[in-house]
Amino acid sequence: MKKLLFLFLLVFGSAFAQQNDKTITVAFSDSDRVTAIQTIEKACGCRFYFDPEWLQKDASKISGDFKNAVLKDVLESVFNNTTINYLIDGDKVILTNNSIIYDRLPEGFFGSDVQKDSGEPVEKPVFQQQFDSIGKSVKNSNPVAFIGKESKKTPQKTYTLSGYIKDSKTGESVPNLNVRARGSNSSTTTDKEGFYSLQLPTGMNTIETESVNHKKITRKIVVYSNGNLDFDVEERIHQLEQVNIKSRKNQAIRTAVTGVTTIDAEGIKNIPLIFGERDILRVATSLPGIKTAGEGSAGFNVRGGKEDQNLFLLDNALLYNPAHFFGFFSALNPYTTKKVDIYKGSIPAEFGGRLSSVFDITTKNGDFDKFMGEGGIGPVTSNISLSTPIVKGKSSLLFGGRATYSGWILKQLDDESLKNSNAEFYDGIIKYAHKINDNNSIEATAYYSHDAFSISSDSIYKYSNRLLSVKWEHVFNEKNKGALILTNTEYKFGIDYQTTGLNSFDFGYKINETQAAIKMNYQFDKKHKITYGLSAKGYGIHPGDLRPQNPESLLVPVTIEKEKALESAVYIADSFKVNEKLLVDIGLRYSYYAALGAAQQRIYANAQPINDGSVTGIKVFKNNEVIKSYGGFEPRVAARYFLAEDFSVKAGYDKTYQYIHLLSSNTTQAPTDNWKLSDLNVKPQSAQQFSVGLYKNLSDDKYELSIEGYYKKSKNILDYKVGAELQLNQNVETELLQGEGKAYGVEFLLKKQIGRLNGWLGYTYSRTFIKLDSKFSEELVNNGKYFAANFDKPHDVSAVLNYKITKRYSVSTNFVYQTGRPITYPIGKYVYGNAEYTLYSDRNKFRIPDYYRMDIGLNIEGSHKIKKLAHSFWNISVYNVLGRNNPYSVYFVTNDGKIKAYKTSIFSVPVPTITYNFKF
Amino acid sequence: MKSAILKNTVFLIFLSQVFSGCTEPYALQTNTFDDMLVVEATITNEMKQQQVKLTRTFRFEDSAPQIETGANVYVTDEENHSYEFDENNGVYLSREAFQAIPGKVYRLNITTSDGKSYNSSSETLTTANQIQDVSVKVATKDGQRGVQINVKTFDPTNSSKYYRYEYDETYKIIAPKWANLNAVLLPPTAPGEHEGIALVPRNPDTQICYSTKSSNDILQTTTTDLSEDRTDFMIRFISSEDYIISHRYSILVRQYVQNLASYEFYKTLKELSGAGSVLSQNQPGFFYGNIKSTNNPDEKVIGFFEVASVASKRIFFNYADLFPGEELPPYYVQCDNVKFLYCFEPIDPECRGATLITNIRYNWLVYYSGSMPSYTFVPPPCGDCTLFSSNVIPPFWE
Repeated sequence: MKKLLFLFLLVFGSAFAQQNDKTITVAFSDSDRVTAIQTIEKACGCRFYFDPEWLQKDASKISGDFKNAVLKDVLESVFNNTTINYLIDGDKVILTNNSIIYDRLPEGFFGSDVQKDSGEPVEKPVFQQQFDSIGKSVKNSNPVAFIGKESKKTPQKTYTLSGYIKDSKTGESVPNLNVRARGSNSSTTTDKEGFYSLQLPTGMNTIETESVNHKKITRKIVVYSNGNLDFDVEERIHQLEQVNIKSRKNQAIRTAVTGVTTIDAEGIKNIPLIFGERDILRVATSLPGIKTAGEGSAGFNVRGGKEDQNLFLLDNALLYNPAHFFGFFSALNPYTTKKVDIYKGSIPAEFGGRLSSVFDITTKNGDFDKFMGEGGIGPVTSNISLSTPIVKGKSSLLFGGRATYSGWILKQLDDESLKNSNAEFYDGIIKYAHKINDNNSIEATAYYSHDAFSISSDSIYKYSNRLLSVKWEHVFNEKNKGALILTNTEYKFGIDYQTTGLNSFDFGYKINETQAAIKMNYQFDKKHKITYGLSAKGYGIHPGDLRPQNPESLLVPVTIEKEKALESAVYIADSFKVNEKLLVDIGLRYSYYAALGAAQQRIYANAQPINDGSVTGIKVFKNNEVIKSYGGFEPRVAARYFLAEDFSVKAGYDKTYQYIHLLSSNTTQAPTDNWKLSDLNVKPQSAQQFSVGLYKNLSDDKYELSIEGYYKKSKNILDYKVGAELQLNQNVETELLQGEGKAYGVEFLLKKQIGRLNGWLGYTYSRTFIKLDSKFSEELVNNGKYFAANFDKPHDVSAVLNYKITKRYSVSTNFVYQTGRPITYPIGKYVYGNAEYTLYSDRNKFRIPDYYRMDIGLNIEGSHKIKKLAHSFWNISVYNVLGRNNPYSVYFVTNDGKIKAYKTSIFSVPVPTITYNFKF
Repeated sequence: MKSAILKNTVFLIFLSQVFSGCTEPYALQTNTFDDMLVVEATITNEMKQQQVKLTRTFRFEDSAPQIETGANVYVTDEENHSYEFDENNGVYLSREAFQAIPGKVYRLNITTSDGKSYNSSSETLTTANQIQDVSVKVATKDGQRGVQINVKTFDPTNSSKYYRYEYDETYKIIAPKWANLNAVLLPPTAPGEHEGIALVPRNPDTQICYSTKSSNDILQTTTTDLSEDRTDFMIRFISSEDYIISHRYSILVRQYVQNLASYEFYKTLKELSGAGSVLSQNQPGFFYGNIKSTNNPDEKVIGFFEVASVASKRIFFNYADLFPGEELPPYYVQCDNVKFLYCFEPIDPECRGATLITNIRYNWLVYYSGSMPSYTFVPPPCGDCTLFSSNVIPPFWE
């Protein structure tokens, strides 16, 4: 408080006599301010009083040439653009940081109600005494921060405070942190870069941050003008007991978009999972609206969308298959993943290309200051993540690697054919982050995942994801920011089929895409935040070839033509705060798609079903010639209205196009399913979703309650003719049907984030239907009526609950109930042309039994002593406690003319796991 | 002080039965059964009594379908001429012989005994196209040597395009261990005695037989992806180890020219009967033909009414011509000799009189050679082909 004392001494002790009219001649060029001050001191014979630290913060150079100038003008020039104020007192020049030294008391200081009419508005000065005592009572060691430069004339009532918030331990930016000013309505949340911007009244303010994962930080701030304040927040120590879905505090009721969830990788430690593997995507499925077709199924169905309608972005690059080992494990390293933002409705205009959802996965940045490591050894996989600065404070590298030794699990199985199976996978990620300066930063990610498995001993299946992503972020000025993103992704799979006979073959499929995107942010004013950008993506598909391996083989080599296409989009969106209550996000995206040659495309007769017989000709396209183009506007609108301070209603509408399709006749997504581009005969899919939601926070934000409803209509949804064969089909369009889809649902979620008992409870009622109608009987499914899709599971209940018994012990449970999924049954037999055939029911007319499962975990933390060697954390969990024999699939085998049904389940008994973590 | 943190995680696991996947039989819901009419109707350009087959779908536990009896079946043409069909031995035959005429539109009408009526879409006769040749050659398929039978056609008008084939194969069988004598039991001479054995002449018509089998597979080909409407389609491959070609073999190939819709119907039928490829399973489901209920549009009917031009060709070949000097393929059963000594000493294992008597009584084995007390017997088909085939020489046999 030295400064304060000094100030008041000056205010009351300084002479009123002024020598402000003294002139000096001085010149300096490209010197720092301390040097400039020394030069001025010599010229005027006066003495400056200041703390050199104030001036060292600003390294900018100044130049000046003054002839017979008034000292005041010289100083004005020197301290322009700084937070330094000055007082000229005879031959003494007293500098102050932020504060201004008043040489007279303000009007009304002694209670006088006489208002002197001065033409200019003069703000009352801020005397720091008035809050000095408050500062002492707060335990927080953070000193009072002074923002901006006090001016005698303060034309504004409020100023903008902005800055970056970082995690004190990892040095990483903290997004989605709520920052608010105590006693005022002003509040905001930090963006992806941890950047916040807050309107504050002049003078003393107390701002505080709030987040489930970070300690509350309270800062006293004296605001003089617009300014910056960066600060660090500390992770909550007791976070280990806290589960997980990190809410952006108040975020649910505050933002305009519906159907958004963020899952924080750190927060999911406690949820009991199979083999103790922390899996961010598996946790996602415990949220309303996100489902899988079954245990061990790789794909996700979001709000009645098919498995191929989800955009998985890993650091902006598309990830085609985010699953390892039939979906038991996600391909994301839990130690390097920072978080996943899931958009299941109101997809922002910057995203496109998939109908149903966006899973925006962000990787952590390496630590800029010190070497760090994290690792895990599990029963199935081993994991390591290392982070190191390259140039201290400027650049860092993060490496994550994971490999499995799951082969032994298969060896435990009774089934002979599975005993001979083998499965292995690994993945690795490297992320480089570089802060060039305050305005420029670069991030680059490289990722590779590989799976190989053989189901019977004679075939080896392999698949791999490879992606690269580079992002350059640039701040143009306070209002404009932008990012340039380049990505490349390759997904491929192959089958090596080795039989004893001549029919050995190998088969390979590859898809590659490269994208360039520009994303811009423009903070137009307080009410409008504008984002805009454009992207262009090139696809190349090698649909594969079948190569017989034995020269005497009778298998005919098959090569399927390559596919090529270009997809581009432009978008603009405005987040418009109409008033305190109403916030509207309006976005418009236009996407354009062109399928490109070289290719040969069949022309089918009009008004005839597409099949081998209706071909009227073949059209040959030259390299890069446009085969067919599609395009369309994709409006995205979302609005939020506050009914009360803690109660909001939202509505959204969005339209999406998808130009690439996954061909999968299996119920669940298989790694060997082909992706097919839209072309002359395969149209792009499109969807429209209307959603509405009510969000209410109860008991002082202890509980968050939301009810969301949606109705979705889609067009040209891909399905398959009865008996369709999709693999290695040169004219796969003859097996495809494109129909209409409709889906609707109500999602109910109750979350409690604080307290001994925390967790969430979700219930979803949803239906998904497809209609495949045609005037041609071969294109007709279920007589052209709507029927339940493969993944239609009307009732879905999931609960994740944690109970903290003591500071060290906590119990967590996980419960899931789902209606069994639909299935097409064989329902009888018939004889045709001397042979017996199986009669199948209508598509998806029946259902497999319901699914339910409960998992329990006990978490024990080591002692809470601060000084100890290692921090330990035990987790004992039992998966499928009830031992429920949940059916994974029901299949039929014809044996001796009799059809038998079999039910397979994957985990039919409770599976216990003990995990020991320690940290030092 | 922010010190570097190294976090190590060690997982331990108790494995009682970690990955306990299991497969178990699952009770099929038989109440899911749907009773539907199955219609097989192919009208051709042959002048004959045309045939329509009406059956019902049946449950898994049943072995054969029920025939739909008492239905009123008729085919109408565009001139409203109606061809009535009468039920005859489980099939419906047209009252008078007729043939499909090119260019005319035909429609099948069915009214079942319970009053439900069905009709087909209108169909016209497909292009008539003769079989050029049915060729036979020795070839190797899937590592197996055998006889490959191909059918060749050519349609210069390029309008046939879709072909479905059926065949009837007839082959000569010679019982390899036929003897002109047969063993019969003689009643015991006195009570408590064993039955005796007598050799009597055997019917000479049990040595040579002719079997005829019809194809039950769906055999189709198309020429849409070819520049010419020309086929060379392998209709049959018989392993050189198959006894049916041991002597003389004949195949009658029938070629139906289909239209696109009927081709697709049969193709789907065939695809569904297979399990799918190594890579992925087929999409199962119900699929529609061109026959619909007139009362209830939601009622499902299986089957297709096809008006197809047909052509046929028969060929013969001998084993000795294709595989000169080679040993005959093995007979369809093993014809090992079984020796018996007609005696009843309990301590002598060679004495198997009682077993012999049982074998003769139940026809488990038939006589091949020998006389009292030592006999050689063989499995019945080795000595008598009429047990599984017919000794009637087919009228077309040459």
